[in-house]
Amino acid sequence: MSAAVVLQDVGKTFASGVQALAPLSSTIKAGSFTSIVGPSGCGKSTLLRVIAGLSAPTTGRVERDAPPHSTSFVFQDATLMPWATVAANVALPLRLAGRPDAEITERVTEALARVGLDGFAGSFPHQLSGGMKMRASIARAMVTGPKLLLMDEPFAALDEFTRAKLNDDLLALWQQNRWTVIFVTHSIREAVFLAERVLVMSPRPGRVIADRAISLAGHRDDALRLSHAFTDQCADISRLLAEAIQPPVNP
Amino acid sequence: MNRIARGILPALFGVALLLLWEVMVRVKGVPVYILPAPSAIAGALWNDGGDLLVALSVTLEVTLAALILAAVTGAGIALALAQWPLAERTFFPYAVFLQVTPIVTVAPFIIIWVDNVFVVLLILAWMAAVFPIISNTLLGLKSADTNLKDLFRLYGASRMQTVARLLVPSALPYFLGGLRISGGLALIGTVVAEMVAGTSGTRSGLASRLLEASYRLELARALACFVLLSAVGFAIYAALDLFSKRLLRHWHESAKQTDI
Ligand SMILES: Nc1ncnc2c1ncn2[C@@H]1O[C@H](COP(=O)(O)OP(=O)(O)OP(=O)(O)O)[C@@H](O)[C@H]1O
Ligand SMILES: [Mg+2]
Repeated sequence: MSAAVVLQDVGKTFASGVQALAPLSSTIKAGSFTSIVGPSGCGKSTLLRVIAGLSAPTTGRVERDAPPHSTSFVFQDATLMPWATVAANVALPLRLAGRPDAEITERVTEALARVGLDGFAGSFPHQLSGGMKMRASIARAMVTGPKLLLMDEPFAALDEFTRAKLNDDLLALWQQNRWTVIFVTHSIREAVFLAERVLVMSPRPGRVIADRAISLAGHRDDALRLSHAFTDQCADISRLLAEAIQPPVNP
Repeated sequence: MNRIARGILPALFGVALLLLWEVMVRVKGVPVYILPAPSAIAGALWNDGGDLLVALSVTLEVTLAALILAAVTGAGIALALAQWPLAERTFFPYAVFLQVTPIVTVAPFIIIWVDNVFVVLLILAWMAAVFPIISNTLLGLKSADTNLKDLFRLYGASRMQTVARLLVPSALPYFLGGLRISGGLALIGTVVAEMVAGTSGTRSGLASRLLEASYRLELARALACFVLLSAVGFAIYAALDLFSKRLLRHWHESAKQTDI
């Protein structure tokens, strides 16, 4: 399989002198689902921004196998334009690309249907619940048919039920579309449930200190969330993270 | 408290005050050239109404023209300053200068340099009104959501697209806030300019009439002018408030209807 993103000794030090990323290297396979977990402030958002090309690394190189504008980003809050309807928000990437109206209408309608927001095209963001706003944000991210989907704690502000539902839906959408997904989260359970691979980062300056393949047999659903295999994987990542925050003392 | 009570209380207070005023003037026998009773002011409004309304239209014309000019130039200047940080650092101090200089002190020069009275008044009223629009709009342009800005970059938006689809809508509530302040300032600017410029004749505005009447100790007429000017100030504010709520009603917190 080809690589979608290659990170080679990528480091980032801000002008303020804060070193957010220690040089780190990793390769993300095309069509894969990778989760990133790490302590707060370790540089996860910075890493995503560097991968997106929104921020230049101070050292190293980022290679992206994606044509321009085929990367989508989903933020922790839905980041919708409050003055625009749901449909206009979802249409934004296509409008900016100057696509014809007929195509925009068709693709927006389809994207809204896929995230379960048909019937809300004409609503304004403030008329939607938190979960619905997030769905609109995801619809906007997928409306371009992206190759690379970067998600920065997209469901962190949602309640447990909505979050589980959106996890299920995201997984289904990924299985249909096979974007390359990089998903940052604070929730180990979410990371393990969604991803084929989990990267664990160290406290700032962030490095990748563990790279775990998640092998879970069968369909990822509610039953899986209760299975031993699942909880074992979670415990493993949880231990790695705890060690990262407070390294074991050697006698 | 319900809606009716909210309207009735201030009205009752006003009526009580006017009654007290009327009674005091009558009981003490205050001469009309010192303090006319409300009934005398109402009489002046009634008798000179037509004449005063003509003057009012002159004042209103300058005020509205200045306000529109301030809105257009203020928004344009803010947009330019927001696009080029160097321009902001260079020119913004002069905008502040415009704001802190009392326009009365500039008026004599403008009167010497410009022949047309309407243009003199327009310039002075514009000077009084433009700053809140510049500074508010500038603040609004800079307050656009950073994540949305990133999104626009990610999707390769041109500068024009970013301005039109992101910066301008983000700045709109701020601009309208500035406009509401400037509505009052444009009127104040016009009034001060009329008084300083000493316009006279049939094309003179309400503030000149006020001044004229007070020189002649026609205090009832002067106060009638005052009442009209206040009413106009109030009406301008109410109209701008309504206008801004209309524009923002779909999305902005300030214009949302509370649902109790
Ligand atoms: N634009 C910036 N300028 C200077 N320092 C920054 C900037 N952005 C982030 N930082 C710093 O870089 C470090 C990493 O920040 P980052 O947002 O990437 O962490 P994070 O892992 O996403 O944290 P969280 O889990 O809380 O979201 C922090 O110490 C932060 O203060
Ligand atoms: Mg973050």
